Amino acid sequence: MEAASIHNEGGASPFKRASRAIGDKLLPIFAGLAILYMLIPIVVIAVFSFNDPQGRYNFEWVGFTTEHWANAFGIPELTSSLVTSLQLAAVATVISAVLGTMIAIALVRYEFYGRKPTNFLIVIPLATPEVVIGAGLLSMFISFSFPLGFVTLLIAHVMFCISFVVVVVRSRLIGFDRSLEEAARDLGATPAQTFRLVTLPLIAPGIISGSLLAFALLIDDFVISNFNSGTTVTFPLYIFGASQRGIPVEVNVIATILILVALAAMAIVLWQQYRADKMAKVEPEPDPMQEHPRESRKHAVTKQTP
Amino acid sequence: MSGGRRALPYLLLFPGLLWLVVFFVIPLVYMGELSLRTGSLTEGFFFNWQFSNYSDVLSDYSQQFLRSFIYAGVATLLALLIAYPLSYAISFRGGKYRNLLLFLVVAPFFTTYLIRTIAWQTILTDQSPLVEFLASIGLTSNGRILDTPASVIAGLTYNFLPFMILPLYTSIDTLDRRLIEAAKDLYASSKTAFLKVTLPLTAPGIVAGTLLTFIPASGDYVNAYFLGGRNQAMIGNVIQSNYLVTSNYPAAAALAFILMLIILLLVVIYIRFAGSEALMGDEASTT
Amino acid sequence: MRKVVIGAAGLGAAMVIAACGGSVGGGSDAEITTVSKGDAKASGTLVISNWPLYIDEETVSNFEKDTGVQVKYVEDYNDNTGFFGKIRPQLEQGESGGRSIIVPTDWMASRMDGLGYLQHFSVPDDLPNVEANLREDLKSPAFDPDRAFSVPWQSGMTGLIVRTDLAPDIRSINDLFDPKYKGKVTMLSELRDTVPLVMKADGINPDDATKEDWLKTIDKIESAAASGQIRDFTGNDYAGPMVRGDVVAAIGWSGDAVQLQADNPDIEYRMPTQGCILWSDNMVIPVGAPNPNAALEWINYVYDPEVAADIAEYVNYITPVDGAKEVLAKKNPKLANNQLIFPSASYTADCSNQPSLDAADEQEIEQAFERAITG
Repeated sequence: MEAASIHNEGGASPFKRASRAIGDKLLPIFAGLAILYMLIPIVVIAVFSFNDPQGRYNFEWVGFTTEHWANAFGIPELTSSLVTSLQLAAVATVISAVLGTMIAIALVRYEFYGRKPTNFLIVIPLATPEVVIGAGLLSMFISFSFPLGFVTLLIAHVMFCISFVVVVVRSRLIGFDRSLEEAARDLGATPAQTFRLVTLPLIAPGIISGSLLAFALLIDDFVISNFNSGTTVTFPLYIFGASQRGIPVEVNVIATILILVALAAMAIVLWQQYRADKMAKVEPEPDPMQEHPRESRKHAVTKQTP
Repeated sequence: MSGGRRALPYLLLFPGLLWLVVFFVIPLVYMGELSLRTGSLTEGFFFNWQFSNYSDVLSDYSQQFLRSFIYAGVATLLALLIAYPLSYAISFRGGKYRNLLLFLVVAPFFTTYLIRTIAWQTILTDQSPLVEFLASIGLTSNGRILDTPASVIAGLTYNFLPFMILPLYTSIDTLDRRLIEAAKDLYASSKTAFLKVTLPLTAPGIVAGTLLTFIPASGDYVNAYFLGGRNQAMIGNVIQSNYLVTSNYPAAAALAFILMLIILLLVVIYIRFAGSEALMGDEASTT
Repeated sequence: MRKVVIGAAGLGAAMVIAACGGSVGGGSDAEITTVSKGDAKASGTLVISNWPLYIDEETVSNFEKDTGVQVKYVEDYNDNTGFFGKIRPQLEQGESGGRSIIVPTDWMASRMDGLGYLQHFSVPDDLPNVEANLREDLKSPAFDPDRAFSVPWQSGMTGLIVRTDLAPDIRSINDLFDPKYKGKVTMLSELRDTVPLVMKADGINPDDATKEDWLKTIDKIESAAASGQIRDFTGNDYAGPMVRGDVVAAIGWSGDAVQLQADNPDIEYRMPTQGCILWSDNMVIPVGAPNPNAALEWINYVYDPEVAADIAEYVNYITPVDGAKEVLAKKNPKLANNQLIFPSASYTADCSNQPSLDAADEQEIEQAFERAITG
């Protein structure tokens, strides 16, 4: 971690310099290893998507075939479960990102009565075992004779994603430089314009992180879905079921496609994000005349200490 | 104008909190009531303030509780040790590729844990060269990794890494680089600069990350189920089996509430200790 | 705001508790409903919940073509207890969640019926194919002597699955306790499979076993598990470790073995020297099933030997339908002669049916077993 060093020139012994050089290299090497570690299972999944098992179990390498790639969407139940899950994840991620971001803004930006219970309400779903959420929700839906299916799944997913979004977006908001917003307002922007043109682009990385987390949670959820799905089958439900009798190779294919598509989609989002970031990062020249002696200048003042 | 401003936070909170109250608090109240019932599946479960459910399950399953928190704690620490340098490296050294790198890191989590976990089973099988190597240098128990505490902790660490990386990265990436430069000028040692400036400023990310990892990890059942053997069952597995297998619904509900209570207690202590507002703080910004 | 929230929560909670009534479980007190076909031709939509990969690819569409019934075939029955946990609150309210057929294993079918969750029917009146073709030995099981609420979908044997290359000498359940194979064997997490098999190896007849016998056997299993002799307790997921060789012998299901041989010819089902456990997964019609008429039509349809042969060829478990063997012999003689799919009476002579537990002891035994398998 101390490889954070960049420059501290002069007077260092050769030994010290050498160790710093190693330290400098250590961080990227470590990061590379960590990324490798994260990707190993994906490589295994991708490799086994070309496997040609004789039976139903795709556990051991048998031989190479592209047959399952050609047949990627040839299992109707699998394909429809995937479509269901993607629809569900998309809608639920958007809803929970919006609701979660709103809560995070309220918590960080405003003083209000009832902050403690609100915080409590945000944390406690994180600490609740899935089976309890799943079973509790099911009991509620049933006692109100609410038909189980896509809608109940959506409700449940949004419910357990909100807290994650709040926590992630909040950690971005706390370290947020408010002088930019002030500047925008001074320049005559309405609060709505300020939010749209300044605040949103700046907290966007937090929202994106939160949404990614939400999406990753959604595409994983088995327990809560299992209770509240009715006869709707989601991707994790299908795979869990299939794992009882051998997961078809097509699942590996689809998993690989999913990652590739995710990467491609992200690359596009990122590219746009990158441009937005670039625009937002054009900071105003620190002009003492424009400074308002408001408490929120605190941040900006600290920043200018150097 | 001022009336509108005062209403604004409530308007922002309202939809999200309403959602949580209706779809989380109410089901939870129902489960709370269930935890105080007594009976059996055939005779029915009747409500009679059966508080002994709580003491019973606590004494029956204290070992699994302890095990869960140890596994989750170790996994959280490991995840932090992996995620911090990684996030730092991506943010500081990634340059214009840093968002791409971040996504590369998170991408594995867009498949279902089940496929990932099965991939890990393939990697960690007793016959794998990796395991044979570890066994030859005496790092395994009985020459295997699968179905041992090591595999469960490794699984927890792996599966919860994004919960650590995303908040950490968000917080490290917002860090004002000029502050570090300034600190280096002041302290003239990158180590001190790191300890006195970087670390404290990224504390909200560390706190958020450790909590987002630790909390779900302690209630997790998936990793112990797939990567652990009989002697690695965590409290999540016990809750599952009480609810689903033995249909002992009151016990399962009581276990869940004890788990939540302990987690909340640990969280409060931790936040006191870490002194951060990242998750539950009260002294949020002073506008 | 806070007041409003708390008020809403309180109100909601009160409504939930009121709506849920005084009792959870305990079955409905309503009388058993009986379904019959009458003269009406089956039509409409039929929702079937079955285990994954438990049917061939043709039968559903053939049925739709032959009868005009639209089928929604859902593979969401992953395990007995999980499915029960999820559907029980609905059944308690007299609803089946739109399903007209589900496929529980014997003991679960028996439990569901005991709780009043199943509808009854008459095999002679409404299911002529079942009447004609149901295998003799399956006609009157202890839990449903008249087949009044359950008709077998497929049957199977629980016994030994062995890697013959790695553990050639395992033939009895007792061999699983051999220290030579410490940490290399698994057992099923299904109480009613694992414990009776171990009992048989100890010379106890599961049908006559007392509660003490059960608890004693569970103790034996627990100490073997605690010592690390038994690596894990599994569902179908013993297959993976077996293929990889992490596990050399397991208690498992016959149908899996047929499948696994394709993956690894060294994997073999072995009839334990003291016999196996026989079980069936049964088609049942839950309370509140929307289209019982079509459900009966389906049950009858799959008891046509031609149809049953198609299913057996794909599924590789034991077919409960007489005549399927003869049909399959023409198409696939190798499968038709497989003892695991069409076992002879002498092959299963020492086997026992999956025992049903006394309701009074059931909970205690189940909990003891759960404790034994989650250390």
